[in-house]
Amino acid sequence: MIRFILADLNRFRLGAFFIAAIVALAVALGVAVTLQERALRLGSARAAEKFDLIVGAAGSETQLVLSSVFLQPSALPLMTGKVLSDLEADPRVAWAAPIGFGDFFGTSPIVGTTTTLVKNLSAGVSEGAIFAREGEAVIGADVKLPMGSTVKPMHGTLGEGGHTHTELAYTVVGRLKPTGSAWDKAILVPIRAVWDIHGLGHHHDDGDADEHDHDHAAAGADAAKPADAKEPAGHDDHDGHDEHEHHAIDPNQAINEQWQGELPDLPAVVVKPKSIADAYKLRQQYRKDATLAVFPGEVLTTLYATLGDVKQVLSAVAAGAQLLVGAALILVIVMHIGQRRKQIGALRAFGAPREAVFGIVWLELFGLVATGIMAGLVLGYLAARVIAARLAADSGFHMPVGFAPEDMTSISILLIASALLCALPAIIAYRQPPASALRG
Amino acid sequence: MLDLSIEAVEVTFPGLATPALSIDSFHLPAGGHLAVTGASGSGKSTLVNILTGLERLKKGTIRWGGTDIASLSESRRDRWRGETIGLVMQDFHLFEGLSALDNILLPARLARVANAATVERARELLTIVGLSRPEQKVETMSRGEMQRVAVARAIVRKPAVIIADEPTASLDSESGAQVAELIVTLAEREGSTLMVVSHDPALIERFDNRIRLVGGRIAQADAQVAA
Ligand SMILES: Nc1ncnc2c1ncn2[C@@H]1O[C@H](COP(=O)(O)OP(=O)(O)OP(=O)(O)O)[C@@H](O)[C@H]1O
Ligand SMILES: [Mg+2]
Repeated sequence: MIRFILADLNRFRLGAFFIAAIVALAVALGVAVTLQERALRLGSARAAEKFDLIVGAAGSETQLVLSSVFLQPSALPLMTGKVLSDLEADPRVAWAAPIGFGDFFGTSPIVGTTTTLVKNLSAGVSEGAIFAREGEAVIGADVKLPMGSTVKPMHGTLGEGGHTHTELAYTVVGRLKPTGSAWDKAILVPIRAVWDIHGLGHHHDDGDADEHDHDHAAAGADAAKPADAKEPAGHDDHDGHDEHEHHAIDPNQAINEQWQGELPDLPAVVVKPKSIADAYKLRQQYRKDATLAVFPGEVLTTLYATLGDVKQVLSAVAAGAQLLVGAALILVIVMHIGQRRKQIGALRAFGAPREAVFGIVWLELFGLVATGIMAGLVLGYLAARVIAARLAADSGFHMPVGFAPEDMTSISILLIASALLCALPAIIAYRQPPASALRG
Repeated sequence: MLDLSIEAVEVTFPGLATPALSIDSFHLPAGGHLAVTGASGSGKSTLVNILTGLERLKKGTIRWGGTDIASLSESRRDRWRGETIGLVMQDFHLFEGLSALDNILLPARLARVANAATVERARELLTIVGLSRPEQKVETMSRGEMQRVAVARAIVRKPAVIIADEPTASLDSESGAQVAELIVTLAEREGSTLMVVSHDPALIERFDNRIRLVGGRIAQADAQVAA
């Protein structure tokens, strides 16, 4: 029987190949949609889990999450730096860390933050150490820079016509363990350095009319002042961007993460509340006036709801394609069986039982379709992997592509359905009267 | 070796005014050899179809060695046919992509009755029909060789009855004669009851026992039909 089926498939190998290939493509489409959507969901949930609560200036919740969790470049509105010192002092807060964006090195975003956030973000360093001086940087796992290399920050990306800062070049002193998030692509530096480069956080010299707490002299910023004298040679010569009012900084200045005094405006503060109750209270408190507080997980859930709709549309498209493919295949196969009435009749005339005819037709078809389904699973998986890898390469945001237990159910249903569908032509062949099959 | 008796058989087709086949009574003794002739459309193939159970009989009785084949279910009839009847047709109905040996064994294998002895017999039959390459693919064979494979396939399961419908009609006279010779001698050797439908005078004249169909009826019966 098997030998006959193989010989038969070999005779119709082109048709057989196309049947399997079409089934494979239809299945791959559905598999890729399912896997990709799941990967996106899991990957973003994983990326957001380190960020319990994010406080930013009033504006778009989604943008706040995308910019802070996924480091999507965008101009976030700023809020007063007092929010940070207030949060730090708040008894309900385990820790709070500012984040500041805007500079890039190549395509890697340079994120200013504190050692606290760095320590909580990743499971530690895979080599080197976390920054301890203003001129030091620790890089995400996916940043392709060797230890000790120099990072000259550029304001904006090259494509946006950014310019290079010359006041400070960071030295890479450590590499973090992978976090699977966009932060793996980032270069993390002391937030102080970011402020200093942009001329923020000093007394009144940046003319910030909104600055609060004038009575607290900006102690931290003052400490950085003497750095002017020790500016690395050769840098000031190239500084042609006076409109930004740059400041030379001492890269060897030990960082100070005590936020007494006047702080510059901030785009976002990552907050780790002490308890869930505290988290809700804090969120409520900072959701008024000029600030916005969000649970990234919650914002993502809202996004998933939208994503879920998109997925349903895509799944419907995939299912429709599968249905069409299935119907077209059945039609082609039934016609094919009709054309082979003679052969089927002959099998029985020469002594093969009709059950064997059923078996042959069913096995041959189901073999093809099942092969197509299996190939489709592999193809869809690979496609999802390729898409995820491309996204990861672009954003550093890792999406875990994988089959879940519930997929086994869908695959079984698909196999059973196709087994039943293949029985249709087999029944037609089974019922064909052998005499009429042989005539003419 | 089975005897055949036909009683009050009538086969009608929709749209046909007269029955395609109408036989009141006919008997062929076990081991007997019979030639059936008749013009085109006289009902010869219809007779073969009902005798082999390929077509279900609605009117009358056909008994092979006491088995009323109309009483068998479709599946049972398939099995009975496989065990009892060796069929040779005008078209060879060989399966491309399979070797000569595999073609001979295919129906037996599909019926799950092929064992080592069957394979041995198939090889032996291949030599008897004059083919020396059991592994040759059938599509590469000449027509005469193909029909000889078909003859070997018909008798590999030692059928009690061999029925051939125009076995030589699509062959040239030389290979036709070879095939005719094979069918007759093999039926004799196996002791099978043999019925051959043919227009081929060279084949017919080997039979003493002949019937001629005209319009579905036995018009002329030569020699000792009744026994
Ligand atoms: N399924 C059918 N439906 C209608 N008519 C049929 C059917 N099968 C056979 N016939 C008719 O029955 C008659 C006998 O046909 P049959 O095939 O038995 O002839 P035959 O003697 O074998 O002819 P040939 O020598 O050409 O093979 C023909 O007139 C044919 O048209
Ligand atoms: Mg005929």
